[in-house]
Amino acid sequence: MPETGVIVCENLSYIYPNGVQALCDINISINRGDYIAFVGQNGSGKTTLVKHFNGLLKPTRGSIRVFGEETRDKKVSALSRKVGYVFQNPDDMLFCSSVEEEIAYGPKLLGFEEVEIKENVEKILHELGLAAQREAHPFTLSLGDRQRLAVACVLSLSPEIFVFDEPTTGQDYFGGKSIMSLIDQLHAKGKTIVIITHDMPLVAEHARRVVVMNQGQIALDGTPGDVFSQIEQLRRLSLRSPQVTLLAQNLGSKDQTILNVGQMYAWLETEYLVSPRAAIGDFI
Amino acid sequence: MEPIIQFNSVTYSYPRTDVPAIRDISFEVDAGEFVALIGPTGAGKSTLCYCFNGSVPQLFSGAMTGTVEVAGCNTYQDEIPVLAQHVGLVVQNARTQLFNVTVLQEVGFGCENLGLPRNVILERVQAALAFVGLSGHEEREPSALSGGQQQRVAIACVLAMDPDVLVLDEPTSELDPIGSEQVMEVIARMNSELGKTIFLVTHDMEFVAKYATRTLVLSDHRLIKDGPPEEIFSNNALLDEARIRPPQVCEVSLGLRKRGYLIPHIPLTMNEAVSTIKGLNHA
Amino acid sequence: MIGISSGARRTPLNGLDGRTKLIALLTIFILALVFSSPYYILGLLALVLTTWAIARLPWKLIKDILKFFLIIAVIILVVQIFFYPGETNLFRLSGPIGFIGFSGYITLEGIMFGIAMVLRLVVIMIVAPLLVLTTPLPEFMLALVKLKVPYRFAFIMTTALSLLPSIQSHSAIIQQAQLCRGITDFETGRLLTKLRTTAGLLVPLILGTFRDSQTLDVAMSSRAFGAPVKRTFLLESHFCPTDYIILILAILFLLGGVALRVLGYGTL
Repeated sequence: MPETGVIVCENLSYIYPNGVQALCDINISINRGDYIAFVGQNGSGKTTLVKHFNGLLKPTRGSIRVFGEETRDKKVSALSRKVGYVFQNPDDMLFCSSVEEEIAYGPKLLGFEEVEIKENVEKILHELGLAAQREAHPFTLSLGDRQRLAVACVLSLSPEIFVFDEPTTGQDYFGGKSIMSLIDQLHAKGKTIVIITHDMPLVAEHARRVVVMNQGQIALDGTPGDVFSQIEQLRRLSLRSPQVTLLAQNLGSKDQTILNVGQMYAWLETEYLVSPRAAIGDFI
Repeated sequence: MEPIIQFNSVTYSYPRTDVPAIRDISFEVDAGEFVALIGPTGAGKSTLCYCFNGSVPQLFSGAMTGTVEVAGCNTYQDEIPVLAQHVGLVVQNARTQLFNVTVLQEVGFGCENLGLPRNVILERVQAALAFVGLSGHEEREPSALSGGQQQRVAIACVLAMDPDVLVLDEPTSELDPIGSEQVMEVIARMNSELGKTIFLVTHDMEFVAKYATRTLVLSDHRLIKDGPPEEIFSNNALLDEARIRPPQVCEVSLGLRKRGYLIPHIPLTMNEAVSTIKGLNHA
Repeated sequence: MIGISSGARRTPLNGLDGRTKLIALLTIFILALVFSSPYYILGLLALVLTTWAIARLPWKLIKDILKFFLIIAVIILVVQIFFYPGETNLFRLSGPIGFIGFSGYITLEGIMFGIAMVLRLVVIMIVAPLLVLTTPLPEFMLALVKLKVPYRFAFIMTTALSLLPSIQSHSAIIQQAQLCRGITDFETGRLLTKLRTTAGLLVPLILGTFRDSQTLDVAMSSRAFGAPVKRTFLLESHFCPTDYIILILAILFLLGGVALRVLGYGTL
């Protein structure tokens, strides 16, 4: 049978050098075009697992194939053209003296064509709204812009798969929203997206698939609707569905899982509220 | 009764900058209040926290005008160790504020510096650890604890010094949901059981709605609003200006009101929201 | 391996007072510098190795230290052999080897002095872990304070040591982040590339450490660090009989060693 997943883990286990078993027999297949969120308590193995996707970690037992190839003998730099990894803290990734130089750094190192690099940098600067700051020193940028720049650095290697480790942590609502819309755009262009986050409303609003991890194993794997309807099960895993989902359940929505505020209004107006607005008109 | 915290027209700029990090901040807090400070990243929330115990301007230098008085102390004149006995400051990153090799040493550090008798310190450490739910962890290495436990150790560290006011700068920003809830529960109990005055900076609006009795909104280095959470979370224009997303139960209720439904009070909690929306069918 | 912070290792030396260990260490240091005869230094080395055995520290560590030290040792040896102004000529190197400062003769004294220098450094390097690996940081700091080192200084010193593991782990994260940027390796490459990768590691590390140290400064002051009162120490330390015995032995050794040296023994 031909392999369909772009990333396929089979019985993957990982034990840290200090003896701690972080992952235990993980089997998962990530498909091209997936928008997948890994959630779970700290220490549940999310970060350890996604660090296998670009070869930062190699399995202790079992296997992981990225685009059909085992990562075992692959260097991270070789995989970085296929799998981009954006770290939680952009400051760990940045070190050049201008925005432009920062974006061109990786492609130069990997020996991309000079002309091609120039064009690509130009394109990325505009796409990510960093063109005005092209000469600026990365450390003078705001946190939000530094994070966009970190994404730009990964984007310049033109990978097919993007991994984001807690992209919204430490950001306010607008900052989080802006980085998420950037990720949505990448997904719309056909890229495969993997994110790690603790923000359940964010997962409900953006992801197409949710994997819940617990003690180094996959506890749940399904659409946001599937996963967030299992309120009791999630509570046992120390997680909580978004407030709207819970609110709708408390109001008696049995057949469908409400994932965002928009769905909530639709459900309330079509199925829940008996006499919308007319009554209010009389009242006023 | 005198307010326990008084900020009078405080403006402060860090050294080598022209733009003030906070501008013309004035407010008063009474003893026993639970105040939440919210606002976008970069608005100056952390800087405001540093003002409480004199770290601004004593450690950071820079230019400050206006006065800050906390528990009868003046943050210009009284030295930070003196202020530390009245205001406990838990800074943003738990990892960097723990620097001892055992939890016992860590939590005892403040009292050791104050020169308290050894047996008093041990009692206080035990009490503080029990309060944050970490009894029995005395000999653990702080760095080996989970993020949530580290944050609770950081709280125990200042709690052991028995301050009247606790200032906490985004204590849950890096924690998972369960860790956040445990930390917030400890903060709420310090207010309700120990009567501590709480000044909490957070991005978690559900916690603000659940626990705070009063909310300050900082935007673009200025205080733009001061009121109870329900007032903040029912003011759409304000939420937009301060780039705040209210808890989803408030958001849904605000949206329904906008669509013409009669919602006299914006609910803050799940139970309130359920009865408000149910009420629409009985109107 | 940063030992002093993971002082949880229980060894027979853990029971000793920090002051005792510090003074014994200094004694060995001084004696290693006082003597220049390889035989005397060999004696010191035997003493240190015996203590190592008593402390039941891993022998592998000595192997690692020596491996790290090998190249430096060879350089020291060669330099001494060539340049030490000895008298007992063993043999003469001829041909193209004559250069400035080199008489052309390999001397007995040169060889002996070279060996002594190497042994001296070996002693100094392996005696340090005996203290570091058997003394938890707080005990080490207390020892410094009780030996009248100012608290502020002792605190800064020990805290800097205790922060090393967190700097190490941050550096590991940055290395991973850099690998994701397309850096192939941290070891290979042309000099220019190497400089670039090192900058990539150091810039975020230094900035991060600087930011952390500012936070640390605020956190410490917020916990009354530097209050103008006499500080209490939760940790207590007392001399036990073994401490006294070791202290007396250390003083005797020190005095004896210096006396021997003054009398002209222990030199080449």
